[in-house]
Amino acid sequence: MKAMNRRKLIKVSAVLAAVSLAVTAVPAQAAVGVSSREIKLGMTLPMTGTASLGYNKIPGAAKAYFDYLNKNGGINGRKVKLIVKDDRYVPTEAVAKTNELILKDKVMALLAPLGTANVKAVAASVNPARRGVPVLFINTGFSGFAEKKKYPTTYTVLPSYVMEAKIMGEYIKDNFAGKKIGLLYQDDDFGTDALAGFKTAGVNFAVKVAYASGSQGAAAAAGWITKFKAAEADVVILFGVSSATSAMLGVAAQLKYAPQWMLGSVGGDATTIKLTGVPAGVLYNAIGFSPVPATTDMKDEYVKFFSDIYAKAVPGSTFDLNVLLGMNTAFMTAQALQAAGRNPTRKSLMAAIDSKGASFANSALVPAGYSKTSHVGLTGYWVGKYSPTGDLSPIGGTYVTYTTDSGSGAVVKSTYVRPAMPAKGLPN
Amino acid sequence: MKKVRILSLLSVTALVTTVLVSVPVAANAAPACDGKSPIQSCVGVTSDGAPYAMQVPANFNGTVALYSHGYRYNVDIPAGIPLIGGYKITNTPEPVPGGNADVAKYFFSQGIAILGSGFARQGWNPDSAIKTNVELIDTFKKQFPKTTKVIAWGSSLGGVITQGLAEKYPNLVSAVAPMCMADNVEPQLTGAGDFLWGIKVLFDPTIKAGNYSAGAAGVAESYADLVKVFTVMGKLQGGISTGAWPDTASATGKALAAAGIPVRSALLLLGLMAGIPTQSAHFDSISGPEGALKLSFPLAVSPALAILENGTNAAALAILATQDVEMQAGGAIFDNTKTDYAARVDVERVIFNAALSGNTVIDAMLGALSAANPGAPRAVANSAAVAKMRALHINTGKINVPTVLMVGVADPITPAGASQRLVDLYAEQYAAEKAAAFKAYQTTRDYKTPTNKLLMLWNTTPSSYTKFAATGAPITSIPAAQGTNHCNFTSAQLVLVAKSLVQASSTGKLPSGGALYTAVRKAGNLSIDKGISVPLLKYYGDN
Repeated sequence: MKAMNRRKLIKVSAVLAAVSLAVTAVPAQAAVGVSSREIKLGMTLPMTGTASLGYNKIPGAAKAYFDYLNKNGGINGRKVKLIVKDDRYVPTEAVAKTNELILKDKVMALLAPLGTANVKAVAASVNPARRGVPVLFINTGFSGFAEKKKYPTTYTVLPSYVMEAKIMGEYIKDNFAGKKIGLLYQDDDFGTDALAGFKTAGVNFAVKVAYASGSQGAAAAAGWITKFKAAEADVVILFGVSSATSAMLGVAAQLKYAPQWMLGSVGGDATTIKLTGVPAGVLYNAIGFSPVPATTDMKDEYVKFFSDIYAKAVPGSTFDLNVLLGMNTAFMTAQALQAAGRNPTRKSLMAAIDSKGASFANSALVPAGYSKTSHVGLTGYWVGKYSPTGDLSPIGGTYVTYTTDSGSGAVVKSTYVRPAMPAKGLPN
Repeated sequence: MKKVRILSLLSVTALVTTVLVSVPVAANAAPACDGKSPIQSCVGVTSDGAPYAMQVPANFNGTVALYSHGYRYNVDIPAGIPLIGGYKITNTPEPVPGGNADVAKYFFSQGIAILGSGFARQGWNPDSAIKTNVELIDTFKKQFPKTTKVIAWGSSLGGVITQGLAEKYPNLVSAVAPMCMADNVEPQLTGAGDFLWGIKVLFDPTIKAGNYSAGAAGVAESYADLVKVFTVMGKLQGGISTGAWPDTASATGKALAAAGIPVRSALLLLGLMAGIPTQSAHFDSISGPEGALKLSFPLAVSPALAILENGTNAAALAILATQDVEMQAGGAIFDNTKTDYAARVDVERVIFNAALSGNTVIDAMLGALSAANPGAPRAVANSAAVAKMRALHINTGKINVPTVLMVGVADPITPAGASQRLVDLYAEQYAAEKAAAFKAYQTTRDYKTPTNKLLMLWNTTPSSYTKFAATGAPITSIPAAQGTNHCNFTSAQLVLVAKSLVQASSTGKLPSGGALYTAVRKAGNLSIDKGISVPLLKYYGDN
């Protein structure tokens, strides 16, 4: 190569300086899914079909927050665009739709895909890890997804099912000692995690009833009730999806079967349950668990903020647990994008969560476990009871949160202090 | 296009057709050529008795494309056997894939000759076929001394032969394309053996599924197996909707049936254990008919139907290839005494949990199929036969010359994982070449980036493709979807491979960049996305 003469060098330097100035003034093309004007994210989850009930509000909730963010400057001038595809809760369809998001839509990251089987199918067949595609804040509590070595680009957000079962187990030991406990669980990894958690907690069940995913319905529920009745269960834990909880409670109401219900968070959203025709009264005094504040708690600054935005974005739609979680996820994503630098890349996005994710402001009342060595999201729950109208509120009126891990660690009361809401609910 | 050119291309089509039915001359003689123009045709027989055909355009530029056909049964199939009955052994030469006229036209338009034999021995034949090809190249060069470059390509077992040729004789070929390539004999027949074994132990214990007798008796046993397996498949087709197990089910199968386990779940599990794709010609495992089955059909039924369709497609080859290789090796070659089928489906049991009817059912089925259950006796191989099988030609996966791979992601007979293995091995090879280049740079201060020698063309399935009649019944009379079935390529896709080979042969470099993207897009239904990664054959998880 010929040596560059001094005059040319000066010219080139000047041009480079100008380019550099331009870069700081106007966001430049940085990475896949990132243009000077927008950042594209993709989401697959059930928008139609029997499994969609309740969960199909998550994209609208996330979009409501992103729209708010975009109206307030976006992320360094870029608008966040969320592309949503319906996978109907069919794993093979999730694979096809995720491929579309990555190959055709060229999204920067996948956001909040839902369902253990779906996320596992995508991991095996689409292989986001090999492609370096971040899979942010997945909507499944299967503890295995937090294995960073196996799923290096996947970030959990929900507390794991193991954690939830362990915390439920502690509550049972403290409050239902000597009672006969029954368990309804999904006969897959979702249920396997729950069983592991209950085992760690030392819960002995009088009866365990497994249902295969997709088999839940009124006919199946009648059979379940027969088994719980036969075992004379005093407390029945419903550790399944919303459609299983709804089927069980609906049939129980008809048969006037009323044990002490305990609802897992996945199938415990009252709005969703009531939408299936289950009378709210059936839920009364049932015990529930949540990592985020009660959706009716308008004294909570996050709940108030999110519900106000949602009411304007989707008028007439009930602000429920799925909505709150969807908006919370979008809010955390915005902070991750902001922390990923002026020209974010897939790598810098993941690095931002690794280094700062544990301190992201969000509505959860329990800590998150993100670090350079951990992709564990939230780590606990508070315990509540459902009101006569089906609203979940903390027992005794105060949130008492418990935290634990997905291993053999103890369940302890959390001392976590939640970060205050950033100004205007925008990432700093 | 000029009028003359059109006429010339039309004549080419006719000649290609003619070549496929030509009668060869005496073995090891110089080829007999017709001396015609614009395309001269020559036929002959190699020293081992393989009939061959050459077609050389008048504007021959010195490059010849040698094609290796895939597996052909090495026994006649009696007319009474369903689906494949009436087949007669053939060694008709095949100088382009299936006599594809578009491919021949393309080559001739470039001044490139085509060449191919029907091989002397059918069945699993890479050892003899590679030798045949070496002789064929020599014969062609002697007949046409202007020859400077040889492109080699092949389909299915012909892909193995092509890759083997490039590995053993890299100086003979300038670019190669193993298409819908089979894996090496042991991984390939392990997959076949796993599925046949499962069909036997659950659905019809009278199926032999290997360990056939020597000679004609063994051939007769394989015929009997073909009839039994196709009969069971027919019964399973009915059972998928009714839940009923075949009346020929084993005691183990009947026990599972009595426990209320749907037969569709059992069939799906067998397919997953063997690594059979869960998308087939007509079943995408995604679509459902309008109405009540919209969700439950893809979730619970379609994967089993895909296994049924793919398994039926692959069964004949699985039985006949097993019998063939056993004959070559001198005994039983399939052994699953140590196979951990539960580990094999560790991921799949989550993905297809609903179709498999949940963990309790999955564990019951895996328990029934475990080595601990005497009701599902494992197959034991003859160690001497296994050693002999392993002494057959084995490809190492080394890429010596510019190589184009193309495969359907849901090919039921030669799984895409066979090509994935080469992709993975080449990634290691390329990394080593880069490391060596860097090491050399430290001495010479002249860094030479190694040239990429692999282009992977994935023939992908559409995002959804199962069609339903107004009654809700799936339609299976339409053509197979792209990316499914065996070596199911369009002419445009084959021509793209041919063009890539021509370029690589001429320049030493495979197509890349924008030109490649455009060509791939125009060919249709192909992807060169480096992020695509398909599972290797299950054999590799065990070994």
